[in-house]
Amino acid sequence: MRPAIVFDRVWKKFRRGERHDSLRDLIPSIARRWIRRRKPAPERLEDQEFWALSNVSFDVGPGQALGIVGPNGAGKSTVLKLLTRILKPTRGRCEVRGRVGALIELAAGFHPDLTGRENIFLQGAIMGMRRAEIARKFSEIVEFSGLADFIDTQVKRYSSGMNARLGFSIAAHLDPDVLLIDEVLAVGDLGFQQRCHERLAGFRRAGIAIAFVSHNLQAVAQLCDRALLLTPGAGPRLGEVHDVLSAYASGATATGDPRVRVHDARLFAGGGEDDDGRGPGARPIVRPVKPGTPVTLRLDVEASADLPRCGLGLLVSRSDGLLVFDGASTVDGVRPVELRRGERLRCSVSFRANVLRGTYLVGALLFDSFHGGWDAVRLPGLASFVVSETTRRGGCVELQPTYDLQVGAEDGARA
Amino acid sequence: MRDTPFGRLVLSAREMVREQVEFRELLLQMTRRDLLLRYKQTVMGFGWAIFMPVLNMVVFSVIFTRVAPIDTGIPYPIYAYCGLLPWSFFAQSLKFSAVSLTSNSNLVAKVYFPREIFPFSAILVSFVDFAVASSVLGLLMIYYQVPVAPTIVFLPVVILVQVAFTAGLSLLLAMANLFYRDVKYLFEIVLSVWMFATSVVYPVDRVGGRLGAILALNPMSPIIDAYRAILLRGELPDPVPFAAATAIAVSTLAFGWVAFHRAEFEFAESL
Repeated sequence: MRPAIVFDRVWKKFRRGERHDSLRDLIPSIARRWIRRRKPAPERLEDQEFWALSNVSFDVGPGQALGIVGPNGAGKSTVLKLLTRILKPTRGRCEVRGRVGALIELAAGFHPDLTGRENIFLQGAIMGMRRAEIARKFSEIVEFSGLADFIDTQVKRYSSGMNARLGFSIAAHLDPDVLLIDEVLAVGDLGFQQRCHERLAGFRRAGIAIAFVSHNLQAVAQLCDRALLLTPGAGPRLGEVHDVLSAYASGATATGDPRVRVHDARLFAGGGEDDDGRGPGARPIVRPVKPGTPVTLRLDVEASADLPRCGLGLLVSRSDGLLVFDGASTVDGVRPVELRRGERLRCSVSFRANVLRGTYLVGALLFDSFHGGWDAVRLPGLASFVVSETTRRGGCVELQPTYDLQVGAEDGARA
Repeated sequence: MRDTPFGRLVLSAREMVREQVEFRELLLQMTRRDLLLRYKQTVMGFGWAIFMPVLNMVVFSVIFTRVAPIDTGIPYPIYAYCGLLPWSFFAQSLKFSAVSLTSNSNLVAKVYFPREIFPFSAILVSFVDFAVASSVLGLLMIYYQVPVAPTIVFLPVVILVQVAFTAGLSLLLAMANLFYRDVKYLFEIVLSVWMFATSVVYPVDRVGGRLGAILALNPMSPIIDAYRAILLRGELPDPVPFAAATAIAVSTLAFGWVAFHRAEFEFAESL
């Protein structure tokens, strides 16, 4: 099948600093151009210019979803702007086939002085819907947004959450061939977010090609099969979603503390039920694991400074920033070790991943009591693992509940 | 054919028109939005459309009937109003379109649709005002007992020529103001001078001399004279000046639209 989105070796140049906005600046700029007498070549960077995107390629077929992740300023939104034709690539080819639905700035077309009802028609038209089509879907849109009581209220009286809900509801009722989404699902309450995600999954099943920009790696992992990682100053990386997310998650937060050098940090999963990840059956984690899997972080560091009372701490957080676990060897009664400058420390910490679906970052702390108090060498985001879940449980922690249901007619408890 | 400059021009012209057809409902929605907003945000609402030309008519009637009387062949108030009415349409369209891209910058930077919609809807909004304000012209014609002449059938032609000229200038202005914000201020000065260089409140062909020759190049004078000819005098427009004005209007539109279309991709980056 022909891909619906084609991005072929695209380069995009931007300019730093201010552009001249008044006639006062025009004259010197014309003079400068006159002296140079040549058109700036698209391959070359003039001063203050930089490549926002360099040599980015991907394609997305019908029914596929591509997640686009990366730190701020890596060019994620630029990719979407190129796809929506707001921007034009400096070099390369960028094509989208069919009707494009853009869930970017959902409320961009809203006017604060108009009512919700009026804004639905306006925003719908901006998104490319016919009036008759909007009128037909109107009640569905209002119902989806859950704002029936406020539909004749001016939008300036809405909360920002209500604004976004209305925006998403309109966009969700477009019948696009290609859907572009830019970090818009972070708004709205939990119930609404859930409905948004269901809607998006439904779009995918209906054969719509989706490009999804988000910092919520979980949402990306949930919706997408492939992902593109953009990093400023490094080449783009395209691949299977879990691979790319792990690469991003472990690279994104790694900071260099000058006191230690990390030679190796890897996660292993246990081979069997009783295997804690240290045994012979242990294997490096490359695939998503099941909840409850025993996991071991093996760490090999070299001290660049003396750490006379060194302990090991474990930090686990979910990709959306939720701190899942924070603990240390000293707290659990393990004696600290003395680590001298230049020495290698091989340490490991095993734990049971009693967490539900999501991408998790594992970090470590090396404690040091050199000046009396604790001073930690923080090594966040050393590695990551993904928990995939087949059961229908939601949330973060596997609580292993047991249920008990009794129907009582006249028992003592109620009396 | 496709690779010649002319061929490319034809292709882009087709694309430009096709886009407008495709997005025609958005044009109407944007127009509706601006009208609704004015109606909601102001107490007088559409009263403003009538108020300004009527006030101007009263002021100029005092000047040109009492202070410095001039002979126009028609009762002066109706002469002035018939000029002020299309002039307000022209001036207001341009004022609104000049800022249409910058005041909708959130849309320009974030959503794609043909950007021509912004200046075009500014013209449509002004056209609604024009239609509302023309009711006063009807009342004046009854009061001064000016009969409706059969030449009124040419009214759509005259309006079309004016709209074409306005649209061409609007596109250029909106674009220019996006790149250089000085344009808006500069153009407001130009507009006030331009009004007195046009036969709005007095027949400008009486200026004569070298200045008169320069003023004869102004395409707005034949257009406004044409309104008076077909509505008040029951005559056809003066053919040569009107044909020249039509030619200028059409070429302004063609030039403005093509230039706008080519620069469109830079808009989002310039905001």
